[in-house]
Amino acid sequence: MTAQVETPAPPTEPPRRPRRIPLWANPRVGLVVLLILLVTLFSVIRPAFLDTRLTLTPLQSDISVYLVIGLSQMSVLSLGHMNMAVGRMAATSAFAMGLVHHTLGAGLLVSLAAGLVVGALLGALAGLIISRTGVNSFVVTLAMDFALVGLITILYTGVVDGVAFPTMPAGMEALRFDTFADYCVGDVCGPRIPLVVPFAIAAALLTGLLFRWSRVGREILMTGANSRAAELSGIPTRSRVVQAHALSGLLAALAGFLLAANNGAFSASLGDGFLLPSFLAPVLGGTLLAGGAVSVLGTVLGAALTQVIYKGLNLLQFQLDQLQLYIGLVLLAALSLDRARHVLAERRGTTS
Amino acid sequence: MLVAENLVKVFPGVRALDGATLTLRPGSVHALLGENGAGKSTLVKLLTGVYRPDGGRITLDGSELHLGGPLDAQRAGIGVVHQERNLIPAFSVAENVVLHHLPRRAGWLDRSRMRAEARRCLELLEVDLDPDTPVARLSVAQGQLVEIAKALSLDNKVLLLDEPTASLTGDEADRLYTVVRRLRDSGHAVVLVSHKLEEVFAVADTVTVLRDGRSVAEAEPLAGFTQGQIVDLMVGRAFASIELPERTSDTKAPPALRLNGVSTALGHRDVSLAVRPGEILGLYGLVGAGRSELAKAVLGLERITAGTVEVHGATARIRDVGEALRRYRIGYVTEDRKDEGLFLEQPVTRNIAVTVWRRLARAGLIPDRRERALAETYVERLGIRISSPQQLAGQLSGGNQQKVSLAKWLAADCDILIVDEPTVGIDVRTKAAFHELIAGLAAQGLALLLISSDLPEVVVLADRIAVMSDLSVAGELDNDHDYPRMSQQIIRMIHAETHAEGEVAAT
Amino acid sequence: MTLTATSRATASGRVWRTPEFTLGVIVATGFVALAFATGGNLLSAGTLEAFFRFLAVPIVIGLSQMVVLAVGQMNLSVGALTGFCAMAAAWLMLEAGLPAPIAVLAALALGLAVGVANGALVVLTRINGFIVTLATMTIIQGLRYGVNGPDTFQGYSEGLRAFGRASILGLPAVFLVAIAVAVLVALFFSRTVTGRQLLASGGSPFAARLSGISNDRSLIIAHALSGLLAGVAAVITVSASGSVNATIGDDLLLPSFAAPIIGGVALTGGMVSVVGTVLAAFLVRLVDVMQAQFGINPRWVDLIIGAVVLGAVLLGTVRQRMRERAT
Repeated sequence: MTAQVETPAPPTEPPRRPRRIPLWANPRVGLVVLLILLVTLFSVIRPAFLDTRLTLTPLQSDISVYLVIGLSQMSVLSLGHMNMAVGRMAATSAFAMGLVHHTLGAGLLVSLAAGLVVGALLGALAGLIISRTGVNSFVVTLAMDFALVGLITILYTGVVDGVAFPTMPAGMEALRFDTFADYCVGDVCGPRIPLVVPFAIAAALLTGLLFRWSRVGREILMTGANSRAAELSGIPTRSRVVQAHALSGLLAALAGFLLAANNGAFSASLGDGFLLPSFLAPVLGGTLLAGGAVSVLGTVLGAALTQVIYKGLNLLQFQLDQLQLYIGLVLLAALSLDRARHVLAERRGTTS
Repeated sequence: MLVAENLVKVFPGVRALDGATLTLRPGSVHALLGENGAGKSTLVKLLTGVYRPDGGRITLDGSELHLGGPLDAQRAGIGVVHQERNLIPAFSVAENVVLHHLPRRAGWLDRSRMRAEARRCLELLEVDLDPDTPVARLSVAQGQLVEIAKALSLDNKVLLLDEPTASLTGDEADRLYTVVRRLRDSGHAVVLVSHKLEEVFAVADTVTVLRDGRSVAEAEPLAGFTQGQIVDLMVGRAFASIELPERTSDTKAPPALRLNGVSTALGHRDVSLAVRPGEILGLYGLVGAGRSELAKAVLGLERITAGTVEVHGATARIRDVGEALRRYRIGYVTEDRKDEGLFLEQPVTRNIAVTVWRRLARAGLIPDRRERALAETYVERLGIRISSPQQLAGQLSGGNQQKVSLAKWLAADCDILIVDEPTVGIDVRTKAAFHELIAGLAAQGLALLLISSDLPEVVVLADRIAVMSDLSVAGELDNDHDYPRMSQQIIRMIHAETHAEGEVAAT
Repeated sequence: MTLTATSRATASGRVWRTPEFTLGVIVATGFVALAFATGGNLLSAGTLEAFFRFLAVPIVIGLSQMVVLAVGQMNLSVGALTGFCAMAAAWLMLEAGLPAPIAVLAALALGLAVGVANGALVVLTRINGFIVTLATMTIIQGLRYGVNGPDTFQGYSEGLRAFGRASILGLPAVFLVAIAVAVLVALFFSRTVTGRQLLASGGSPFAARLSGISNDRSLIIAHALSGLLAGVAAVITVSASGSVNATIGDDLLLPSFAAPIIGGVALTGGMVSVVGTVLAAFLVRLVDVMQAQFGINPRWVDLIIGAVVLGAVLLGTVRQRMRERAT
């Protein structure tokens, strides 16, 4: 509002400098530096932090899960929307996976596919309600979360009379325990990377591809940037809203699957802890709540950072309470820094 | 006495004010005139503390004023009615009127004092409104009166009215000006910003004319001028100096876009218009006449209740902008480029390519190279001044933003272009360039519907002029580009419409 | 249709056309139906008292969320803050040996202080309030756990617990406290200058600024008040439940949104409905009791509440569309 420009502009319109963010002020660079610092710190204090089997391998599995749930939230943040039901969408989809396996005896891939479809449908339903009624996404997904929380327990009670499916599709065990090091071609074995990691990498790459280069992804971003202008530019904004929410549901389902693989069961409480990390990863990575811009790389770094902090503090035998305290403080600090960067950029007169 | 000397206000890319001077005496009505974009509203906002000046000074009775915010202006006794509505809809009339200084008794709202105070202000205006009515239930005109009552509630010595009659009927405006005269007689200094010259001449004593952010006439007695002289001062030499390309439109060709007796859910009645390829049809009317809404109805954004829209002779049923664009090749350059035309936080490239991603895509993916090449083509063709195609649209000046907003429709290869107020908020030089551009598009064979409330602009550009008033077409004229005669005819047409309600002037 | 902030009907609108009235009818019908369905069991002294006793916290926590919604903000930390204040009060009584009144005041002050911190962070950093309170929620959860680890506090001030059990004219004292708080909040928004200024900031920040109202001040006051109300909810929890631990408040976040949203408060700010919020809390409690009375899987409650919230917003949209079409 109070744009202040020190030097008077020459009479003709001058070409304006682009907003070139100095390297130090790029939030992603800051995250990388912070990550390196923290990893160094933890390794110095507790050399066990670098222990592959004890720390690094489980860490990668955790990062994979929280990266995918972060991407799920990011998909709707692109619109300036929120998905308060990420955890429950994950749990409901995981139930669908378990059910397909339990009743039909389906294999891993068929179960996974069924779960992903259910997740995408749940997301699409949320998107449909939002775009048709114009009700705030927060309210719609919050109500959906309420509804699904009830539904999941009822479904589990009804189908398996418990809180988890007793069996898992073949192959889930391998996803849980194996790394590529367990698979050898002759004498050459893979690196000690858990089998769930490629799922997360694929999700990140495809999501990045979608938002960076595909028409649908870009149109979602434009809808998030200014939905009225998007509509007046001929973008079918309603279906873009539905699609972004469907993507969010799909990714939530994938995160649910990966967590189930890590935990070794499709259970009702799956995804209870998804909500906060789902915001942490993209927001730390520089995705704004306002919509119109996303950063997949930032989300990757944000997810990695939070999990490194959890794991490191855990190794240092910090209690749960201190873990949360530090995560909260890191979030506030990172955001305040980002804000300071923005203010600095504005001072330089590059924005109006 | 309020004096503003050599005020300067710079926004990125444009000097909105460049040495504006204004002198106000108590007991007089002072008209502040100028074209769109001349800096009138900016000056009003400087005087009321909404913006801070980048140069110059403001003095009140000899002592300098530093206005850090709206509150400072209120303390100095400067009241204002802004062009934008500034009422809280859920609040009552009384509460809105005294919102600056809600009467309190130990922290509690003193409702009886609030009502009494509001009633006093409303009585000053001779307005009969229940102070307890929620503002949401008032008509636009009533809301306007509430805003004026609000500005009066502080016993202000200075009152600034920015286009107070833009949304009022003739009778309501007359009543308002009676109040303005009464305020003057009781010693107030009133600044009136208006583009309706008849009203200005009827009520104002002195006049300041702004052009290009500068005062070209300063506190002169209005009696010394004719309307024509004022217009010349406002428009300046820029008006005479435009060289437009020669073009001939084929008068026998079938219309590219034709509206047959269109009525809409918004209340448009029986609107018929036709634009041929290579022709510019000017659609002139005051703010609130329903022109932009008509354009949006054509694009399927508002419901058409009767009549038909024809594109190249075939009846078209357009449901949304995407369909208008891809199937019928109709583009709409909105008047509200910040909220509806541009993605301010997105790069220029995307702002231009957004309409043609479907065409640029290869297997669903859009190569950066193709997008960039396309954007660069239009940046060059329209002379858009940017430092890099990655620059954000929000960082451009008004004129360049408007060009970007236009470029996306040119990129989409439209045959029919509806251009809505293309030069609002753009300085005079860029405006001339824009006029050339629009005439050039018509010369290339596009059918253009030019919506504008800028009379000189319409007279310069259009082949024919349709005059819209109160949601219907009051009449249509062939344009002979003789400004005095055309403007008189058009103004008369609007007045015939507003004074004889329901009687549609013959075409 | 916009609601004024008065706790009663809109100034000149007819009472029976307000959403509050509709909600009131639904609640009353539900209550009577449930009373019949339980064969009058609901109306027995013990059941009825329990019904109202456990209505106190949902009412106050709903109001706590409502005051920030009034300025277009959200406060995700309400639940965690309630738990933290409750733990702090219990700690002061048991570990620090302070008398109950001081512990109560300290809990209120703590809630207020955290609220002010939330507001100040929002104003100073200009970061979205959702994210700020998400971060403070995490921090407060840590602090809450830090007070006493996983252990439970019990056996604190007998007087306070007696207050929690006390009844006046058959209504639990804590419920009356909640109602008193609701009346105060309603008066704040309808009758005080500061309350009106908050609503002006929430409804139209630009117009408010032009009228000399500081939007920053409004944001801080709203968050402060929200924190204070979370403190009140904490005091009620401590006195009514007899024991507290680090999980207190976790299940309050979603109900804190459900009550004002079902009650017709918009997320965009500028309007509140105290009556609606209280009635909505009542409605949620009815569903709860119904579950307990019939031994339904408690999870059905969540399902039903979710459906009710969605139904409420959909109904609101439909009503608005119909009204728009009518004019």
